[in-house]
Amino acid sequence: MRSTLLRFSFCLLVLCHGAWAAPENEAPNTHEFQLSNGLRLIVREDHRAPTVAHMVWYRAGSMDEINGRTGVAHVLEHMMFKGTDKVKAGEFSRLVAAVGGRENAFTSRDYTAYFQQVEKSKLDEVIKLEADRMSNLNFDDAEFLKEIQVVMEERRLRTEDNPSSLLNESLMATAYMSSPYRHPVVGWMNDLENMKATDARDWYRSWYTPNNATVVITGDVDPQAILATVTKYYGVASEKSLPVRKPQIEPPQKGVKRVEVKAPADSAQLSMAWKVPKLQPGKLDDTEPYALELLAAVLDGYDNARLNRVLVKQERVVNDVGVGYDMVSRGPELFLINVSMAKGKTIAQAESSIRKALQEIKQNGILESELKRIKVRILSDQIYKRDSIFGQAMEIGSTEMAGFSWRDIDLMLEKMQTITPAQVQAVAKKYLVDEGLTIAVLDPQVRKSADTGKGSK
Amino acid sequence: MLKMVRHILLPLWLILGVITSAHAILPIEKLESYKGAQAYLVQTKTLPMVDIEISIDAGDRYDPVAKSGLATVAGGLMNYGARTDKGSLSEAQIADEIADLGANFGISVSGERAVVRIRTLSRKDLRDRAVQLTSAILSAPTYDVKILAREKQRMTTALLEAETKPEAVLERRFKKAVYGTYPLANSPTVQSVANINAVDLQQFHRQFYRSDRMIVSIVGDVDKTEANEIVQSLLRKIPQSRAAIAKLPEFERSPIESLTQREVNIPFDSQQAHIAMGMTAVTRDNPDYFPLLVGNYVLGGGGFVSRLMSEVREKRGLAYSVFSYFAPGKDAGIFQAGLQTKSDQASVALEVMSSTIEQFIAKGPTQGELDAAKSNLVNGYPLRIDNNRKLLDNVSSIAWNNLPLNTMDIWTKQVEAVTLDQVKAAFQKYLAMDRMKIVIVGAKNQ
Repeated sequence: MRSTLLRFSFCLLVLCHGAWAAPENEAPNTHEFQLSNGLRLIVREDHRAPTVAHMVWYRAGSMDEINGRTGVAHVLEHMMFKGTDKVKAGEFSRLVAAVGGRENAFTSRDYTAYFQQVEKSKLDEVIKLEADRMSNLNFDDAEFLKEIQVVMEERRLRTEDNPSSLLNESLMATAYMSSPYRHPVVGWMNDLENMKATDARDWYRSWYTPNNATVVITGDVDPQAILATVTKYYGVASEKSLPVRKPQIEPPQKGVKRVEVKAPADSAQLSMAWKVPKLQPGKLDDTEPYALELLAAVLDGYDNARLNRVLVKQERVVNDVGVGYDMVSRGPELFLINVSMAKGKTIAQAESSIRKALQEIKQNGILESELKRIKVRILSDQIYKRDSIFGQAMEIGSTEMAGFSWRDIDLMLEKMQTITPAQVQAVAKKYLVDEGLTIAVLDPQVRKSADTGKGSK
Repeated sequence: MLKMVRHILLPLWLILGVITSAHAILPIEKLESYKGAQAYLVQTKTLPMVDIEISIDAGDRYDPVAKSGLATVAGGLMNYGARTDKGSLSEAQIADEIADLGANFGISVSGERAVVRIRTLSRKDLRDRAVQLTSAILSAPTYDVKILAREKQRMTTALLEAETKPEAVLERRFKKAVYGTYPLANSPTVQSVANINAVDLQQFHRQFYRSDRMIVSIVGDVDKTEANEIVQSLLRKIPQSRAAIAKLPEFERSPIESLTQREVNIPFDSQQAHIAMGMTAVTRDNPDYFPLLVGNYVLGGGGFVSRLMSEVREKRGLAYSVFSYFAPGKDAGIFQAGLQTKSDQASVALEVMSSTIEQFIAKGPTQGELDAAKSNLVNGYPLRIDNNRKLLDNVSSIAWNNLPLNTMDIWTKQVEAVTLDQVKAAFQKYLAMDRMKIVIVGAKNQ
């Protein structure tokens, strides 16, 4: 078994190296341009089907917000559909629908992005629409007052009635004292209640400029033709100076922090989050972030990974487990382990089992075979992800927003392949320690029945 | 990374319900029938990978009432241990082998069918091992007693957790209301899961996991000969028994009832009230499917341009998400609409949703709305088939629903042919306000 595995992995490495990891050997399929107004354009050709994904990424997310106005990045995302001088409220969606397009938008801590997917001959039309609202957004107060109600409903749906979200919200607000990562992307309810249309307009004027935007287009396109179209429509916007971003560096943590959240639920949940480093732009040779990514996968990257095997299947102390770490982000990073309790088990038992599993790695390291398995997974995913042009645009955009280049993606994967079991063990020892640990516990409450009987209707 | 998304994305099975199209460029090839199983292939050569799906007529609707959850457990536990020619494979060995191959493997069980999917690199040695492993899982699962006990425990925990969630309580009660006497009305309970034992699983598997109840769909970098080999290798060890399986009851139309009979109000201490409204509708092979598909795009299927979204969200700010859809299966199908809103505005939101649907049934869409709907569906057609994953969804849906193999070629023509009168007639034929079941969870009086 083992020898087969080694031979297989080696072959796959060779295969992948030729096919994907050495783009200099094939015709370049990704092209990068910059317009004179500062807007960046990245085009990836993929001619498998006659469709295109068009995205514009603004490098402004909830981490750029200030206290009292949390959630404004996301509120503005909603308002972006509420009309420009030429396109009335609601028309944007109607025009995209008419050409058979799919559209959406999303806001994260690091960025806000808008996209359309269309058949390739319709691309110019959606570029025209998207470029228009980069500069000409023009919503009235009445539209804002209705939409802020919608955003509050969104917060009720995603957070207020969702104990896992409430737990995560408290975890972030506890782990970070100063970093704006402590605020939820959707914003605190009280800030939403006090949000004004001018807050959204100020946000738009501050951050929605061509020099803060990256357009990513993937699919069946000719890069030179696209450059002409993008220049024609996005080129008219003028460059503006961006607000100064203050560093807001999180002060070093000095010991374990704990927070408890009471919310209607049946099972208790536990989140353990350690402050860990992330990958820094220009420093792709740092090995620690790659080792942390691989550690996360060793713990939870496949069905028989360590935490799943030991905690869920052998000890049966937890019902579910999830591990999170993302080495590519603008803000500070956490290494997160979330579990929900198995029936009859306590938070203390789960915490002790997690600590034991981590101790095992710190003391004895991980097997070469475990790491190989994870690396094979990473390589095969490289091929699978080419199945989706949308997924490719997502990867390029989110990498760029964190301050890296799309060119770094393959490099990062190559570096990942060089990491040793000893390096994985070393980051576990160095970073998964109590000094940087925040623990959040969901204390389940019986949900009280409302006192209404039969409804009014 | 946490992201706030403007739309709520529909669950995959909903999208599958309305997708049945592909360019004539990539034809569906019918493979040799093997041991009574049907098999289909779409060749796509650009990526060195292949997606394989086995659909099995072994869904939740075959659960005995007292053992609701049996089909799901039988499907879900298949990869937790299997016998092969060379001996037994443990749960851990199977998981490690899948990971070592760089393959993706998944099993899901829905109302009508169990679905096993595997994605592998197309290189022959890797592909062969993935297929052999899947074959062992499909033909000879171990159903270990200890693993069953563990998984029952996990399922029970999840069921108890679901009872604290308004959306889960709503879905369970709505299913009960809308499916009536059809077996899909039942949902697993703590007791019904407790009743399931290892012998039940073995029996269920023997009875339903037979090649004559299976359909294999393949999309990717293999030719017809290789695809035939895959099918035979997958099914070689699976019995093709023909023992009779008891016929399911007919799926009956939701009856006309008074509001008090049709409406269920469940008190719940949540910030939002969750509301569902709906009734029985059509199967996928119904000739009225296209008028209903196009009409529903206007009513509540067209995202931001639908009437429900306009009335409930855009004009009144009452909800983040509001939708309607037809979920047409092979043997049963329903219509459902829904929203979530702040608890004290539930009655207002329900009123707006009801009157919007009522008016649509009575008057149908305008010509402008119909044209816009057709324009979106026809222009957007390439997006439904632009990767292997979506092609697999299409092939699988066509095969499962017994649709003609040229379904993907004529899909846009069928959409284009829909007229105003057809939409209006179809909505009036299948939907009626005095038949609509209504479930409300968490409303508070103002």
